[in-house]
Amino acid sequence: MSGGGRSRCPDCGCAELVEDSHYAQSQLVCADCGCVVSEGLLTTTFADEGHLQEVTYSRSTGESEQVSRSQQRGLRRVRDLCRVLQLPSTFEDTAVSYYQRAFQHPGLHAARLQKKEVLVGCCVLVTCRQHNWPLTMGTICALLYANLELFSGTYLQIVKVLGLDVPALSLADLVKTYCSSFKLFQASPSVSVKFVEDKEKMVSRTLQLVELASETWLVTGRHPVPVITAAAYLAWRSLQPGGRLTCSLSRFCKLAGVDLPHPAYLRVQELLDILLRMAGQLAWLRILNLDKQTVVKHIGDLLQHRCILLRQAFRDEAEEEEGDEQQQEEGEEAGSSTLEMPEKKRPASSPPPLLPPCMLRPPKRPCPTPADSRVTGEEDISDSEIEQYLRTPREIKDFQRAQAASQAGTSAPITS
Amino acid sequence: MGRKLHCKGQGAMTPGIPIFSPMMPYGTGLTPQPVQSTSSLSILEEQQRQQQQQQQQQQQQAAQQSASQQATQGTSGQTPQLFHSQTLTTAPLPGTTPLYPSPMTPMTPITPATPASESSGIVPQLQNIVSTVNLGCKLDLKTIALRARNAEYNPKRFAAVIMRIREPRTTALIFSSGKMVCTGAKSEEQSRLAARKYARVVQKLGFPAKFLDFKIQNMVGSCDVKFPIRLEGLVLTHQQFSSYEPELFPGLIYRMIKPRIVLLIFVSGKVVLTGAKVRAEIYEAFENIYPILKGFRKTT
Repeated sequence: MSGGGRSRCPDCGCAELVEDSHYAQSQLVCADCGCVVSEGLLTTTFADEGHLQEVTYSRSTGESEQVSRSQQRGLRRVRDLCRVLQLPSTFEDTAVSYYQRAFQHPGLHAARLQKKEVLVGCCVLVTCRQHNWPLTMGTICALLYANLELFSGTYLQIVKVLGLDVPALSLADLVKTYCSSFKLFQASPSVSVKFVEDKEKMVSRTLQLVELASETWLVTGRHPVPVITAAAYLAWRSLQPGGRLTCSLSRFCKLAGVDLPHPAYLRVQELLDILLRMAGQLAWLRILNLDKQTVVKHIGDLLQHRCILLRQAFRDEAEEEEGDEQQQEEGEEAGSSTLEMPEKKRPASSPPPLLPPCMLRPPKRPCPTPADSRVTGEEDISDSEIEQYLRTPREIKDFQRAQAASQAGTSAPITS
Repeated sequence: MGRKLHCKGQGAMTPGIPIFSPMMPYGTGLTPQPVQSTSSLSILEEQQRQQQQQQQQQQQQAAQQSASQQATQGTSGQTPQLFHSQTLTTAPLPGTTPLYPSPMTPMTPITPATPASESSGIVPQLQNIVSTVNLGCKLDLKTIALRARNAEYNPKRFAAVIMRIREPRTTALIFSSGKMVCTGAKSEEQSRLAARKYARVVQKLGFPAKFLDFKIQNMVGSCDVKFPIRLEGLVLTHQQFSSYEPELFPGLIYRMIKPRIVLLIFVSGKVVLTGAKVRAEIYEAFENIYPILKGFRKTT
């Protein structure tokens, strides 16, 4: 089926081809033997289709015009995902264009189907981030039944490959969306009246607590959702401490109808620590000797004065560097506020520094300082040192015998 | 630390209009520093003369000067580069008097050279060196695994022998083509010595091993700046270099262009630098990033 170029007749090899037509159909006929070399080319293909030969699909022009089936399916999945998430229609178009662009790349074009599935989620996520629509990776992975590791690898790859500028997850919007998904705003068979809360108040207090957390280094480097869960829990309890102080975090999540992320326990403790320290700065709260349960009742007050309380409760290490005089000024300035008159009479123990929790914990193991070895790399290597790594002939024999025995052992049950 | 939020009720699924400026999430107040121009050599000289104890006072000027470095950060970190190579190699520059009064701090007593305030005073420690060498002959991995004590070979899992030695504490992957990868050393010389020891072991096992094309492929260093870092702020101002996804990884991945190093920056102030082929790249990268990190030290 190969034949030469169009210039030769496949039968007799003659180079004389004549353009002739049989009624309406144009034909290329050999002048010598009369065999029809080609007729009425119906399709446009690559340069040397010639003689009605078979041409593979990948070589024909049809391939570059059409969208491949796999890409079509991917684009359909993108649109489906956007509809499930109830995103505006403009998002759909953007996500589709990202998917198409990503598909051009050889690395992603030839990826496994699993990765192409995940790519769908990545494109939707990038679109949402760019429009400040709060969508977490956990949500997308749950919808796609995808592995977070594969998702993260594909996401980072696509951001690098397409050179995309993806803004950070907008925490405030995430708080609002997440809190609005709680089922605590109406009484129902599972939610008794004393647990029902006003949505506006709850969302605003949660926002304040999340902002407090981010100012006190509880948010940087951590997954955002557990912080929001913890803040919502504390906010909900503090709005009506009467019936809710005894409610545990897991019960709260069940009432609200959300999953309980495990780190939320730690975040609750960390937030309570910060609040207790702030409470220690208010005279009328100090005498109450608050603990982690009772401080919840006063969260409203603490949040109201949080700027000043934070500045007093924690020493800001960065500002200390400015110089000793300024540090003393700090103390005076903080003490001048009306709330804090008794502050100056406090004992001279300095307030703890405001640091992320990982810096406050003692290091797990001491960092070994490396011995200052003067190795040149060209030293002599003694034979004895090398000999210690070689087996003696006796050892080799023993090892071989042991290997043979174990192989015989494993093969015996199979044969018997 | 003013209040940054004004809460308006909006529908749950329509966060359409961003109420909060998307560029300023919680708690990141950045005070842009005034840009000062630095004349090149005179400042370098005088700072080489200043005492280390004066560093605190000079943090102020360093912060201001770092703003100029910050301004040039995106394109080329040339000023710190120049400076640093001088500190590493030679001491006083020819033709300069040691008693060079600094116009910045007239009260500074002049004493002989110690690391200047421009540099951070912190030296990254090398943690791992990966190198490759060609032993120049085909190897029979089964024989090596049989006759060496410190070798493991599992062809179904991986097509190379994994060999370890105690001094320097390293691991090597030895392939049947004769190529070898040596990892785990803490310095370039140690890596070279370790590679030579592996080659000697292979020699003693009866193969005509040579030591060709020893090359260091990657160096990893780490250090601690000892203050917390606002990663959210850093990713805003250095968007084209940084990638910070708290949902995936707690650190910020900073891809520096010059030198071509990847830095992992954590909130605790610990920094991991990787991707270097020579030690100087790690030092240079750290000197480039240190003023940027200091800029994010203050919370307001």
